[in-house]
Amino acid sequence: MTRVLDETLRTAVRDLADGVGPAPDLAGRALGRGRRLRRRRRVATAGAAVLAVVAVTLPFVLLRPGPAAPPATPTPTVIPSPTMLATPGASWTAKPLVLPGGWVVTRAQTTTGSGKGFLLDRGRGHYITTDRYDGIFPAPTGSLVAVHDNNRPRDIGLIDLASGKTRWYMVGRALSAPRWSPDGRRLLFTTTQLDHEGFIVLETDGTKHTHPVDRRAYFCTDYCDFTWTRNGREVALPQTGGSGHNEAFRDKRRGVQLFSADDGRPTRLVPVPGDPTGPWAWSPDGTLVVVQGQQEPLLVETATGRVVNPLPSADAVWLSDDRLLYRRPLGTGDFVLTDPSGRELVRQPLPRELVGLEVTIAPR
Amino acid sequence: MAEVIDGEFTAFVTERGPALLRVAYALAGNQHAAEDLLQNALAKAYARWPRIRGDAEPYVKRILYHDQVSGWRRRSRRAEVPFAELPDRAAAGPDPDLRLLLREALRALPPRQRAVLTLRYLEDLSVDQTAALLGCRAGTVASQTAKALARLRQLVPGLDELTSRTEVTR
Repeated sequence: MTRVLDETLRTAVRDLADGVGPAPDLAGRALGRGRRLRRRRRVATAGAAVLAVVAVTLPFVLLRPGPAAPPATPTPTVIPSPTMLATPGASWTAKPLVLPGGWVVTRAQTTTGSGKGFLLDRGRGHYITTDRYDGIFPAPTGSLVAVHDNNRPRDIGLIDLASGKTRWYMVGRALSAPRWSPDGRRLLFTTTQLDHEGFIVLETDGTKHTHPVDRRAYFCTDYCDFTWTRNGREVALPQTGGSGHNEAFRDKRRGVQLFSADDGRPTRLVPVPGDPTGPWAWSPDGTLVVVQGQQEPLLVETATGRVVNPLPSADAVWLSDDRLLYRRPLGTGDFVLTDPSGRELVRQPLPRELVGLEVTIAPR
Repeated sequence: MAEVIDGEFTAFVTERGPALLRVAYALAGNQHAAEDLLQNALAKAYARWPRIRGDAEPYVKRILYHDQVSGWRRRSRRAEVPFAELPDRAAAGPDPDLRLLLREALRALPPRQRAVLTLRYLEDLSVDQTAALLGCRAGTVASQTAKALARLRQLVPGLDELTSRTEVTR
């Protein structure tokens, strides 16, 4: 293509763009549509929980005997119910809040990060209140806490609660929220910086490893953050798996592509129909994973992608090969210990102050 | 808290909305579709605002282009603006005429070809950068560019003639 033709095309495209007219109340209309979108996504999540309840209830409804033939002797119906634990008292901040299965609450904060929150100081064994940073991310073990300040969008701070020292490290542009590796030694960031897309691993001593990922070869749309796998040696990126697009649902997945966290090398594709939320979503033996599917959270087999059953929440952690812990998405957001089928075994209500907050949990 | 998010989001749209609408217009080819495309991208941004604040513009642009990609798949070529008649031959016309004809011809391109040209010439991205953003191969971008150029030559027969003449007289 000649230089003049190149310039002519450039001018023509810019002429075309310049033909745009004003759009009155763009912000107001986008706000309205955004709120509707958010509501639809919440309804989809709630719908998954309702479906699970229906799935349990329906057989009882269908098998219920007709009124014309009352049984000669009443048969008691045994409905399994979870063990309800007491709501923690007013002084709950004085010691680690232990959940069924032995995990503890390490942080509670509004979703946006600002405002009053609570952070577990493991060394001192009690909670401290936080209202200084825009994002607070305690490591799943040890005394380090990653913090984010909106005024320093390219940096991450590491606070050592044991020593009280804070160190700031420049990570890069267009970053996701940090995600701790399961051993609490590395932080994972997704970068969407144009022409530098990929993931960044930051060691706690500030050493940074940037791993570009070819988005042509590893195509992802909608929700595209890298997450850790349970062994902490690989990271996962969802892979878009269909051409259909429905604003009400997430984009279809053909699996998650794993990459070596050490050198960024692609390792394998796990053919699951959704997105794992983090390292604990993978079962200890690696055979199952909880994912957020297109419409609902799912428990699936990693080898085949076969859906075992839906679950009420995708933010589930595997405590052992047969026990899951997650926060109920409805009501007051109690934590529940369940078996893999989603049957609730133990339910733990949260202190009143935490009910409306986003809660982070970790092994004790 | 919702008030804080709404305030930040509104400020972002007020400041960057016109520039983003310009990109959306180049992609969509008309005002109504551009506003729809942009509002959809902004709505997605709003739904994820706590996580993308500070880097909202690249996020919105990416959605604009990716929605256009989805649009290719959904709509195939139906979103192409009908170009009922070939424009008059522009060989002897002055540059403003050629630009006018070209602008109309751009509107007549299929959406994916227009998207590739928008990225290349409005956003000044390289072939590789364009491919990375669209999630396709560089060869696909090159072939779409070539097809777009062939279509433009068909719609504006004077294109090569005029640009060659300009080249000679420079």
